[in-house]
Amino acid sequence: MDYYTDAIIRALQLIINLDPEVIQVVTTSLKISISSTLIASIISIPLAILIARNKFKSKKFINIILNTLLSLPTVVIGIFVYSLISRRGVLGELDLLFTPIGIIMGQVILIIPLITALIRNVIFSMDEKLYKTATSMGASRSQKFKLLILEARYGIIGAVIAGFGRVLGEIGVSMMLGGNIKGVTRTITTAMSLETNKGRFAFALALGIILLSLSFLINFVTYFLQEGKNYARR
Amino acid sequence: MPEDKIIEVKKIKKVCRDKTILDIDQFSVLKNKFNFIIGGNGSGKTSLLNILSLVDQDYQGELFYKGRLVKKDQQNLELRRKLSVIWQDPYLYRGNVFYNIALPLKLRDIDQEIINKKVKEIASRLEITDLLEQSAHTLSGGERQKTSIARALISDPEILFVDEATTNLDEESIQFFNSHFADLVTDEMTVVMVSHDRRQIKQLADQITLLKAGEVEITKAINNFNFELFGAGIESPIAELV
Repeated sequence: MDYYTDAIIRALQLIINLDPEVIQVVTTSLKISISSTLIASIISIPLAILIARNKFKSKKFINIILNTLLSLPTVVIGIFVYSLISRRGVLGELDLLFTPIGIIMGQVILIIPLITALIRNVIFSMDEKLYKTATSMGASRSQKFKLLILEARYGIIGAVIAGFGRVLGEIGVSMMLGGNIKGVTRTITTAMSLETNKGRFAFALALGIILLSLSFLINFVTYFLQEGKNYARR
Repeated sequence: MPEDKIIEVKKIKKVCRDKTILDIDQFSVLKNKFNFIIGGNGSGKTSLLNILSLVDQDYQGELFYKGRLVKKDQQNLELRRKLSVIWQDPYLYRGNVFYNIALPLKLRDIDQEIINKKVKEIASRLEITDLLEQSAHTLSGGERQKTSIARALISDPEILFVDEATTNLDEESIQFFNSHFADLVTDEMTVVMVSHDRRQIKQLADQITLLKAGEVEITKAINNFNFELFGAGIESPIAELV
């Protein structure tokens, strides 16, 4: 029992003392995750609106594909992107393997289906009167788009945060495409895996506590944005 | 096309899920008049209003504005900005009452000072000045409708469409609407109203069109209307209206 107590105390000390190695891992992780989330959001938001608002022949098929991709294992994405950016891959000459950009590429592919599906559901559930009213007020196409984004903003932010939480906690993509290089591609999850194997349990635990706190914060904000607002209105 | 017709539709057909909900050979909206559209449930009143107000451009047939064909594959932004609609169950956007009323002017890039002045002016006329800072989602049914009326009128529309604006309101709000609505509408405005309210028809109507199963049953000016023919969609004989 002393082993656990001692590890927890040392882990908390590492956090409180802002241990440089811990800070470096967390900073790298946040930089990569934020970049992935931003890029994925820029692609996913218009894509989700396009799917939710338009009628086209392959819509059902696209929705099925989208839902399937939601449960895609991170290692599968890792293998796919690895095949593209490894030396013999199509993008091999760009030297992206074991770089933050390599991880970002994989993470973007990982969360595009998640953010797109969540925002699609938000847009799909919005009142049809929103569009009719915008048309009757004399809104142009771009103004209608802006009004739609504004009306759905809490749901959209919630979806983006959910995507951020997904990439922050994933390990498969980061490990396969990042290579766990200290100070470059070592993220919270890959560092935790490595340090536990090396026997630095307290260090791994410190990162675990930080990851758990970030997850709690993300879920709290997501709940407040997606459910809390509605709950308060009931 | 004679000058007094501001909008005319010809051979309009609207099909929804393989069912024809509107099939009108010809219908005109008279300029600077109160044009009433009446009929029973499912007679196509709201569908016609949606087409006339350019909210729905997915139909067969032709629509003319002042004799000029309105192309359906275009945004028709310039024309749409001459029109306004008051809905039966209005949609108010997130934000306060001021924001909702000001929206049509913001969309037209009107100067903020002018917006402030016009919002206060129209809010005062509709007796909702106290609500301007209140969140739109906390309003009562009557307050919501007053806000939507203010929003529809603030852009000084050339044609105002009203879709059963008082159907979901309490008696007090209906009385407010009936006693103030005519004053809120300017002489230059054309009004197209879908309504079942006999008081509104009696007080305001210049032309009444009766729809039956998606077709125009009859269109006549109110002062020479054959009341005998008129009854569908209205429980009491139309004679009570005058």
